[in-house]
Amino acid sequence: MELHAFDAAWSEHCSYKSSRRFLKNLPTSGARVLLGPGEDAGILHLGTHDGERYAIVVAHESHNHPSQVVPFEGAATGIGGIVRDVLCMGAEVIAVADPLRFGRCDDPASHESHVARGAVDGIGAYGNAIGVPNVAGDVYFEHGFDENCLVNVVALGIVNEKDIIHSYVPKGAEGWQLVLVGKATDPSGFGGASFSSLALDARDAELNKGAVQVPDPFFKNVLMRASYRVFALLRERKVVAAFKDLGAGGIVGCSAEITAHGGYGAQIELDKVNVAVEGMPPEVIAVGETQERMLWAVPPDFVPELLRVYNEEFGLPDVAYNARATPIGEVTAQRRYVLRYRDQIVMDVESEFLTGSIHDELPYTEKIYHRAAAQELPALDIQRIFPRVLAHRDVCSREPLYRRYDSVVRGRTVLPRGAADAGVLAPVPGSRLGVALAVAGNPRYGSIDAAYAAEQAVLEAMRRVVAVGAHPIGLTDCLNFGNPRRSEQFGGFVAAVEALAHAAAELDLPFVSGNVSLYNETSAGRAIPASAIVACIGSIADIANVVTPGFKAAGSALLWVGSREFVTGGSVLAELLGDKGTLPRIEYDAERAALAIMRDAIARGVVRACRVVADGGMLTAVARLAFDARAAGRKLGAEIDFGNPLCEAGGFVCEIAADSGMDVTGTLQIGTTTDAPELIANGTRFDIERLYEIWSQPLAKLYP
Amino acid sequence: MSARIAVPVFPGTNSEDETLRLLRDCGGNAELVHWSQASKLARYDAYVLSGGFAYEDRIRAGAIAAHDRMMDYVIEAAASGKLVFGICNGAQILLEAGLVPGTGPIRRPTAAFTRNGPAPHFICRHVYMKLAIEPVRCAITAALPEGALVPAWAAHAEGRLAATPEHLSEIVGGGHLAFIYASANGIVDAAAVPNGSALGCAGLVNREGNVLAIMPHPERDAWNFNHLDRRESDDVLAPSGGSLLFRSFVQALASA
Repeated sequence: MELHAFDAAWSEHCSYKSSRRFLKNLPTSGARVLLGPGEDAGILHLGTHDGERYAIVVAHESHNHPSQVVPFEGAATGIGGIVRDVLCMGAEVIAVADPLRFGRCDDPASHESHVARGAVDGIGAYGNAIGVPNVAGDVYFEHGFDENCLVNVVALGIVNEKDIIHSYVPKGAEGWQLVLVGKATDPSGFGGASFSSLALDARDAELNKGAVQVPDPFFKNVLMRASYRVFALLRERKVVAAFKDLGAGGIVGCSAEITAHGGYGAQIELDKVNVAVEGMPPEVIAVGETQERMLWAVPPDFVPELLRVYNEEFGLPDVAYNARATPIGEVTAQRRYVLRYRDQIVMDVESEFLTGSIHDELPYTEKIYHRAAAQELPALDIQRIFPRVLAHRDVCSREPLYRRYDSVVRGRTVLPRGAADAGVLAPVPGSRLGVALAVAGNPRYGSIDAAYAAEQAVLEAMRRVVAVGAHPIGLTDCLNFGNPRRSEQFGGFVAAVEALAHAAAELDLPFVSGNVSLYNETSAGRAIPASAIVACIGSIADIANVVTPGFKAAGSALLWVGSREFVTGGSVLAELLGDKGTLPRIEYDAERAALAIMRDAIARGVVRACRVVADGGMLTAVARLAFDARAAGRKLGAEIDFGNPLCEAGGFVCEIAADSGMDVTGTLQIGTTTDAPELIANGTRFDIERLYEIWSQPLAKLYP
Repeated sequence: MSARIAVPVFPGTNSEDETLRLLRDCGGNAELVHWSQASKLARYDAYVLSGGFAYEDRIRAGAIAAHDRMMDYVIEAAASGKLVFGICNGAQILLEAGLVPGTGPIRRPTAAFTRNGPAPHFICRHVYMKLAIEPVRCAITAALPEGALVPAWAAHAEGRLAATPEHLSEIVGGGHLAFIYASANGIVDAAAVPNGSALGCAGLVNREGNVLAIMPHPERDAWNFNHLDRRESDDVLAPSGGSLLFRSFVQALASA
């Protein structure tokens, strides 16, 4: 028993044993932060409506290993888990996002394509069924992910700040009951936590399938709604409780933490656990990772009400076999974690020993990256190369993928998936408050310079949120890296964490939630491209100020706002030219200035449309503004003149009324919008219809 | 006392809250009724079946829910002339229950909203539904202008109308084709149809005109903030086009 319990609790997946000493350098506090990393999700103050203070709950995780082995189920349970992390803070889950990294899918029949389709279908099937809109995400296809896909998931919730529920018991909780709710415990997902901390070997894939959990979004839909009902009852009766998701480490992991983090111990009767099959060994009941289970710690007199809601009003036992809410133990004053099974004590350890920090000080190779200003590129044949950029796998339209996701369920969506650079919701019905969500993390940078990639991930996620008219208030990260036991690979991780901390400090934003996924290496010992994936949450005081998609009128000025470094390194253009290029130092003064100019311009209402410059460069951003207008039935084009319109220096392109009176200091006018459906770049003319066809088609082969 | 509207919630329903909210915003006296309280359903004057995945869409979307105890009440109510309005999963359930087009026996469907085509995947896409019947042909659409264009979101994996040629002729001949897909400017063509639906069908009505089933979700384009194409002068919290059909439904109840 102890072997299995500690195998889970002390796995890298749960303990962050090798990564924690670096993660503590990330800034995690700020005026908006109600809860930083430590519990199941972070919490940020959003705003006030009708005298009530509302907060956004956010969690960010990976489900990489399971998705590589069984893509549909692995990715689906990723959504399932992240949703529970947000739910258990007492929040209503309002959105999910899915940063994805797949192998090259040039052949739609390849294994890589099977993974890429399966994962997307799993995410869609789960999110669609539970009724949580998918409003943001991104996807890249690189050979570095051929054997190790990345499926990161982000979830947002909305909560009245008075009603936040914590993941640990408060003072005075001695004698509280621990009530397990959800599906009957079965043998699925046994060993999941330690499995996630192994390098994948193709030969073991079949064997590892047993470690992947089984998703049940249908059941989760009911479990969520029943939990919302319990939240309402707790509010009404003014009862304090603790609520926590059963994730890695199953019943042991969850019940040990919910009690130990409040300074208590627990006594669990494994016989009381509702099981799906008889005769399971106690260690499987104790640490198996059956999905769709959560744990309440409540005062004894609330137990009957809790059981009534789940078991009768929402009839869990009728929805899935032997599913229910069941008291399985209690909170004890002694700080010992005790498991009983068939009248015997099968485990009795110090709570802190089980949940406390263990450390594994692994050596790493210090990374020194060479940064240099870009060299002048030879004159570009834009006519030939721009269509190739638009059709590039990392630039072309993502619509064939995301149209499989419900982006508008619950009726609160302001900017659905793909409509703009960030998703936006109006999370409080009847209120003008808005929340924006965007993700970023460019693996083409990651394969050159882990630190630059991490800094740009922070900047790009922020820019995306600013581009729709939001004020960035917080960040989350998921650090997807190779094997920490190889000092070279671990060096990239260390450099990326330092870079994230540096960027967040320069930009004055806290990280409130995060996750680490290590051991993403192939059987040949090759790591994935360094992938610090960042999500940014933005607040919007009045959704009337959200920038809607696409050019609005002919004759507007097109402004470029951003750093003037011509970044060719890691760009799509560089790949097409067969050149690696160089990456410059990031000048935070210029970055802060650009963000401030955009925020000010949007606040004053002079920005008619805006897109960030990212993959595919400035000209791609301009083309997309024209595509967005086309989708709304406006036939508008643009004429621009810009040094290298395909370099990917981060920044914004925006449409401003010619007579806006905007102070354009710090910006560069690069052109104007026109009423002809064509794009003229440095004198080269493109038909927008033709460009749209080129851009919109490629992914339809993978996602028909 | 205004007419009481029930929004039945099956295990797997997921759009009940926004449906309820829009009904109330339009002046409807609506409340949710959970499957564990099915018998309460007898007390209502009208029923709105909302979107979701009732019973996990097992067998075919709506097939199991059509046999749920809650549907006994809805079927009886429809027969007595009460208004029944189904959206997305609600529409699928009404077809599986045989209430629309209503050309066969109860629970012996003559048409179904089934797996999308040509690609058999879930699709989430903004659409317009064009009213293809005389507004008064269906009590629920009676307050809409002729040929009304209602903005909505298609969000389903099984929204393609399928039926035998005979039954499709019945649908057309009997005036059951209530809504068809159209583009924003009202043009009806194949490009406007998101799912390969026969006849470009977005919605069906029964013979008596008291039961309406539509696939797209107007309640997700209910406020101007939901509508990407809003004008700058539009108040973001004011109702948008999708609310028109709900308003018409509530008006029909008031005048009944």
